[in-house]
Amino acid sequence: MTENSYVEVKDLRRVFDVSKPWLNRVLEGGEKQYLKAVDGVSFSIAKGETFALVGESGSGKSTVARMVVGLLPPTNGEVVIDGVSMSSRAALAERQRLRRRIQMIFQDPYASLNPRWQVDRIVAEPIRAFRLIEREKEIGERVGELLSLVGLHPADGKKYPHEFSGGQRQRVAIARALASNAEFIVCDEPTSALDVSVQAQILNLMRDLQDQLGLTYLLISHNLAVVRHMASRIGVMYLGRIVEISNGRELFAQPKHPYTRMLLDAVPDVGMTGRQRIPVSGEIPNPISPPSGCTFNPRCPFANERCRAEIPPLLGGVACHAIHEGRLAIDAAA
Amino acid sequence: MTVPVLSVRDLRVEFVTRRGILKAIDGISFDIGKGEVLGVVGESGAGKSVTGSAVIGLIDPPGRIAGGEVLLSGMRIDNLPPDEMRRVRGKRIGMIFQDPLTSLNPLYRVSEQLIETIRTHTNLSASAARKRAIDLLAEVGIPAPERRIDSYPHEFSGGMRQRVVIALALCAEPELIIADEPTTALDVSVQAQIISLLKRLGREHGTAIMLVTHDMGVIAETADRVAVMYAGRIAEIGPVRDVVQNPLHPYAKGLMGAIPSLESETDRLVQIPGSMPRLSAIPPGCPFNPRCPYVFDRCRVERPEPIQHSEHRVACHLYDQSSARSEAVA
Repeated sequence: MTENSYVEVKDLRRVFDVSKPWLNRVLEGGEKQYLKAVDGVSFSIAKGETFALVGESGSGKSTVARMVVGLLPPTNGEVVIDGVSMSSRAALAERQRLRRRIQMIFQDPYASLNPRWQVDRIVAEPIRAFRLIEREKEIGERVGELLSLVGLHPADGKKYPHEFSGGQRQRVAIARALASNAEFIVCDEPTSALDVSVQAQILNLMRDLQDQLGLTYLLISHNLAVVRHMASRIGVMYLGRIVEISNGRELFAQPKHPYTRMLLDAVPDVGMTGRQRIPVSGEIPNPISPPSGCTFNPRCPFANERCRAEIPPLLGGVACHAIHEGRLAIDAAA
Repeated sequence: MTVPVLSVRDLRVEFVTRRGILKAIDGISFDIGKGEVLGVVGESGAGKSVTGSAVIGLIDPPGRIAGGEVLLSGMRIDNLPPDEMRRVRGKRIGMIFQDPLTSLNPLYRVSEQLIETIRTHTNLSASAARKRAIDLLAEVGIPAPERRIDSYPHEFSGGMRQRVVIALALCAEPELIIADEPTTALDVSVQAQIISLLKRLGREHGTAIMLVTHDMGVIAETADRVAVMYAGRIAEIGPVRDVVQNPLHPYAKGLMGAIPSLESETDRLVQIPGSMPRLSAIPPGCPFNPRCPYVFDRCRVERPEPIQHSEHRVACHLYDQSSARSEAVA
């Protein structure tokens, strides 16, 4: 991995125990069941960059986001941010200093803001929690400044979340994320709950703030067009693994992995360039009992015996036996 | 000219509340022909779903149809008594809702739900109805339908459930299907399958489809014509290719520019300032005037009526010949 990477995720893995209760297992029989939500995910993000993870529901992208910010402990692997490992016990003091610089924006702005708090209290909470500013008057000034930064009026601080529209609430969530002088923001589907015209406002705001403050983003989204618009590098996830990782332009111009190609073909096309789509077949399998070998093999038109037996490693930015063996030409994509 | 399958004339829907009457739909008119897919697009609160509910007669109090008429193959249906409307619904108009899990009864097997619906609308025997149900499931692309038919809804995945709902809507071979956000709850790869299924059904059965969605991409792929709604009115209606590539109404222009595209690389998305007005505070004149970049005095006082402009019908003063501003945006 490169020297200048700001966030480094190494071989991250998370297993959830989804077994039935002990008594049921004893009475009805049955084994313990595990769900591998994330398995062997590694990537790095440079400072000031936007890295995106895309995938369908159940691909494990949100679980990765939660592990990166430390909301969920990984089963294996580690997250290193600015040289500090988030899982080592030794660097407790350093980790606490680091926490201030990491923030998260959630999908549902209706659920992520406390409905009983006025907006200025919501935005000031990180400032108070980290004791960044002691004097109340200065906190008030800082909150006003933050609200103006995200395109709201400082007087809006006296309102409650229900008085705002979805887009404005997401602005409040962004202001709160910035309140602790965060440098790295994990955005989990930040615009999925918003209408397109409002989505455009929020995406533009996120980009402006990045230019202004040099923020680093980890963007989680299922919307490929949003990802293309925002991210400089993209990882495509399928059933807990990254199947392809590459820079934005390349991924869209020259998708390699059969799943990426299928995903790109499936996106309804507003431009209506008369593109012919490859028909998509099947659905994401049950992650409790994933297929053996490459997890995409039941839906893959290029699968062979090896694909059904052996998990492909991520080599040259793509995890696919057909590509590695040269069976599948890279230019073949439509 | 043949009689359109669905013809909506100056429809108005109101909700009576403590704070006064809210006009959810304020005078909209459109037709859908045989085998045609009309896309209805707009942001939350634009009145798309209410339009669908009004057509099928599912507006519950405090809502009411305040004016206008709905014609199904030339027959007026908005003033039918409830029990006659019930026979039209399901038999002649099918409905597909956003969330497939809530449109299926979780306590009954899929077979029971399908057979009940088929027997309500036709006089097939139980065994013939079961055979028809299996055929329908096969038609909507459910593998091994003769085995799957006796499953419960929770045993299907989201995409498969939506196929079951589509099969239910098709039971009585309706003339018109109203699909309200049929793919919104689904993943893109499954969404593509459902879209092509709907398109194929429209083509093969000559069913007229009213497709309500907020996703312009879905409309662009599926619809023949599209109506862009804003604050309970149709801002623009026309052939889908024209509206997507060359929108006339300033709102439609903004909406198209706001969508990030896979094809082109833009640095900034077009941003429409502000948000949709609340129904209780729709501005006088053109409802879009406070957000419109081309607004002029007339927009603030006079409501624009739909004007035919090439193949589009657009409700905007900019395209009125008597207005001096018509060349400003052309």
